[in-house]
Amino acid sequence: MSFRRKLLAVFALTVSVSVGSVAWIVLVMSRHAFERADADRTAALVAQFHREFQRRGQDVARRVEAIATSDAVTRMALALNRSAPDYSSYVGEARSLAESQHLDFLELIDAQGVIISSAQRPARFGYREESLSLSSLPGDAFLKSEELAEGAKLALSAVREVKVGDKSLYVIGGQRVDEKFLASLELPAGMRAMFYANLGAGFSPSLLIDASGSVRRAEPLANLIKEVQDQRKETEINIHWSSDAADDEIVHALPLAGQNNQLLGILLVGNARRPYVELRRHIRYAALLAGSAGIVLAILFSGWAAARVIRPVEQLADAAREVAAGNWSTQVAVTSADELGELAESFNHMTRELLQQREHLLQAERVAAWRELARRLAHELKNPLFPLQLTVENLIRARQHSPEQFEEVFRESSSTLLAEIANLKAIISRFSEFSKMPQPQCQRVQLNEIAQNVSRLFQAPSDRKPIDFKLDLADKIPEIAADPDLLHRALSNLVLNAMDAMPKGGKLSIRTHQNGDLACIEVSDSGVGLTPEECQRLFTPYYTTKTHGTGLGLAIVQSVISDHGGRISVRSQPGHGTTFLIELPRNLDKLHRVRQARSTSNAHS
Amino acid sequence: MTRTALLSIVAASLLAGTAFGAARPRYGGTLRLTTSAAPASVDPASSTLGTLTIANIYRLLFDTLVVLDARGKPQPALATAWQAEPGEQRWHFQLRPGLTFQDGTAITADAIAASLRAANANWKVFPTANGIDIECQPAEPTLPSQLALPAYGIAKRTAGKLSASGAFAISRWDPGKKLTLTAREDYWRGRTFVDSIEIDMAKSFRDQIIALDLNQADVVEIPAEQARHATAEGRHVGNSGVDLLALVFTRDSRSPDESKLRDALAMGIDRAAINNGLLQGQGEPAGTLLPNWMTGYAFLFPAELNLGSARRMRAETLAVSSWSLGYDAADPLSRIIAERIVLNARDAGLTLQLSSATPDLRLQRIPLQSLEPRFVLTMLAAKAGMPVPKFADDSSASLYAAEAALLQSRRIIPLLHVRNSLGLGANVKNWTVDRDGTWHPEDVWLGGEKP
Repeated sequence: MSFRRKLLAVFALTVSVSVGSVAWIVLVMSRHAFERADADRTAALVAQFHREFQRRGQDVARRVEAIATSDAVTRMALALNRSAPDYSSYVGEARSLAESQHLDFLELIDAQGVIISSAQRPARFGYREESLSLSSLPGDAFLKSEELAEGAKLALSAVREVKVGDKSLYVIGGQRVDEKFLASLELPAGMRAMFYANLGAGFSPSLLIDASGSVRRAEPLANLIKEVQDQRKETEINIHWSSDAADDEIVHALPLAGQNNQLLGILLVGNARRPYVELRRHIRYAALLAGSAGIVLAILFSGWAAARVIRPVEQLADAAREVAAGNWSTQVAVTSADELGELAESFNHMTRELLQQREHLLQAERVAAWRELARRLAHELKNPLFPLQLTVENLIRARQHSPEQFEEVFRESSSTLLAEIANLKAIISRFSEFSKMPQPQCQRVQLNEIAQNVSRLFQAPSDRKPIDFKLDLADKIPEIAADPDLLHRALSNLVLNAMDAMPKGGKLSIRTHQNGDLACIEVSDSGVGLTPEECQRLFTPYYTTKTHGTGLGLAIVQSVISDHGGRISVRSQPGHGTTFLIELPRNLDKLHRVRQARSTSNAHS
Repeated sequence: MTRTALLSIVAASLLAGTAFGAARPRYGGTLRLTTSAAPASVDPASSTLGTLTIANIYRLLFDTLVVLDARGKPQPALATAWQAEPGEQRWHFQLRPGLTFQDGTAITADAIAASLRAANANWKVFPTANGIDIECQPAEPTLPSQLALPAYGIAKRTAGKLSASGAFAISRWDPGKKLTLTAREDYWRGRTFVDSIEIDMAKSFRDQIIALDLNQADVVEIPAEQARHATAEGRHVGNSGVDLLALVFTRDSRSPDESKLRDALAMGIDRAAINNGLLQGQGEPAGTLLPNWMTGYAFLFPAELNLGSARRMRAETLAVSSWSLGYDAADPLSRIIAERIVLNARDAGLTLQLSSATPDLRLQRIPLQSLEPRFVLTMLAAKAGMPVPKFADDSSASLYAAEAALLQSRRIIPLLHVRNSLGLGANVKNWTVDRDGTWHPEDVWLGGEKP
């Protein structure tokens, strides 16, 4: 991964984590805040419902009070004080009184608890009211079970005593706690009231109503109602009506007791969580959207920032590659005064120093080369010159001291002189040849074939000590683009060197193999080996470890390999032989381009 | 002295004239009636009788062959005489000549025969030279009394249009809402005092009372339980026939135990409390189907609450009594009485539950539409789904035996005879009603000016 990408990834990751963390914190905090607000709202709504329920109870009590103080009831109470009151004439009285005060239930009861008139069940006149204790009448409204023909119903009731004369008359009135009662409660939006008439053991869905009638799905509320039935205290749970959390409803249950502290009903105050959940979702979506946008923007900004930061570094890297490629004059632009600017300045200083050092080195090498050349030339030329001098001096001496032998000496000296002169010419031609190394003429070459040709050439019998040739060729060596003559020459030089390194005979192996895209050929001997210093200087022109030779052989080999885009290396230890490794690229594209250029030039011509 | 005496004589004469004028019948005016009923048709053959008011409206429009007098005896009307052949399966009625429908066409034997065939398809009615013959299967010993029912009023039906034969003609008919009748000048009994009668239908009892109090109606229906209150508030309330309130089982008793349970139920019902409390004294506790004024023997059948005997009889049987009690859902009083019966039954150890669908027994209110006891008993038996009672002869003993047999079947438990009531406006004069609820508007005249 590039440094730019790493930097981009780090930037993006940092910003994403930061934005994500902020979004998460916002969500968590908002959720806690909303839950707290929701709980407060529910508590406020329940308190409001309490007040509304109490207000309705007070309203019922006020209506019953109005009936108790009405002229009709007063007249009835007066009539009841007579010796033989006629109850029958008052049987229908309760209904009209109840209608006048909009009460669903009204009963007029004498001091013995006998019903004189009943609005809700006129047929019960003359029967005793069993569900009310006249000895301790509650002042406030209370829940009362009313036995009707269709079954027991619950009413929010109040009772008042009308005392005229010696006998009391009791007025018990109430409003039915049914869907109409629930619908009449003034509840805030999102809130609903349900009522469970606790008229039997356990839970019965048919006894649960809301403002629209029977609750369609009552089962989820069963546990809550059973809990209130068991514990008789206010309880609150969250009801999951569906898999959608927006359908959840916090239901607060309030037990309602009758006159004798009997649990007669359970009021359920439902607070829909939809507004809260939807608001929370809205915030979550907004946070996610903002976070996503922030992350995208962060990535874009990170890319821009990384590019801005990386550009000088990339320029430095490109410049370094240029330097590595040999372009030591490469300079980078200094665009800032920060550390990168300092780095660019240092790089430029470095390249300038390198240039100077290279110039110095080149000069030094040039001097050294000239010195070496001079030494070599002196050495090479001195060897033939010395016999030449001796031969000439021998001729002079023969002419002076033995003229009779001069002719013979002259012939011998002439042949010696010609031989040495030829030797000098050979030396000079080799130097000339080295200076005029030709450019490779590439063609498809099978490296194994060159290795086989060279091996075949040097395996011929000679007067040298026997050398054990071994040819180890890989099966699948790809063709490469190379000059076969130059390669043959380079390989021959290596083989000759190897043979020279084994004057007493030994093992010599030529091995080919493939290393990735490179075709490789190794020449190994079991000769005396080389020291590390020798290995370092081995390819320097005119350097040789042998007593004979120009020291140009390996320099030529290196030049040939280098012209093919390859490289040559040596590994050796004294006494353990030496191995030369040539690595050559396939260069087929170069061959293709050369052919195209040739065909194009041919076509033009 | 003379002058003073003359003035006194003149003043006395004026006062006497005024008094005489108030009591003297006068022609003219419109009698306004209201009713809770809303019949879709006024055809006596195709409509149910509904309330007594509707039955009486039919009587205004359609004369019958015979009418019943105050003792329940058939009297001539469109028929002047009748005679049954032996076996009482074939009756011959001699028709009054010269009568016409409201459209002026003659009331012929053919027209009467056609009208009666429409009223009762089981009869074979043949026009004869001077009347009609009616063949009944089985025998109808009380056929003349039956023919006095409004359902057998004679009507002419041509192309869906009704033509009345009675004292009034139909001048406007808005089905279920309003009916306007006009007095017929050519009525064979003579023109009625009032010119017309307007009947507003589908009016609640409350609206009828308000209309009466606002003088927007002259005759209104008053529920039995409100009659006492209406009277106490100074309204003029008149009777309008009697209904039998009874519990009718849907089937006969299947075992002695069940009969005992039914007896326990009959004894456990506090009829007096229902009458005094719920009906405000507008009824009479009944142990028989026919009222005492009709038979003279009803007092022999106990109608008092006997809770001890009821509980004892209930205890004597191990049979399970779980009955469902039906009632007329359209009548609030019927439901209240049914609830009271449920409470009474519970006191007696019996289990009754109110039900509107396929009950075991039903609280029924059956109008006693005739003054002829045998016919009424026959009609009640038919209403209760019981066999036609057998009468040995016309004697009271025979009637007693027939009714006792019906009661012994325990198919029906009589509870009360409830008096129907009408509220009458102050300007309605000479309003008379027979005990069977038959009005006589032909005798009514209106006093004072209408607002």
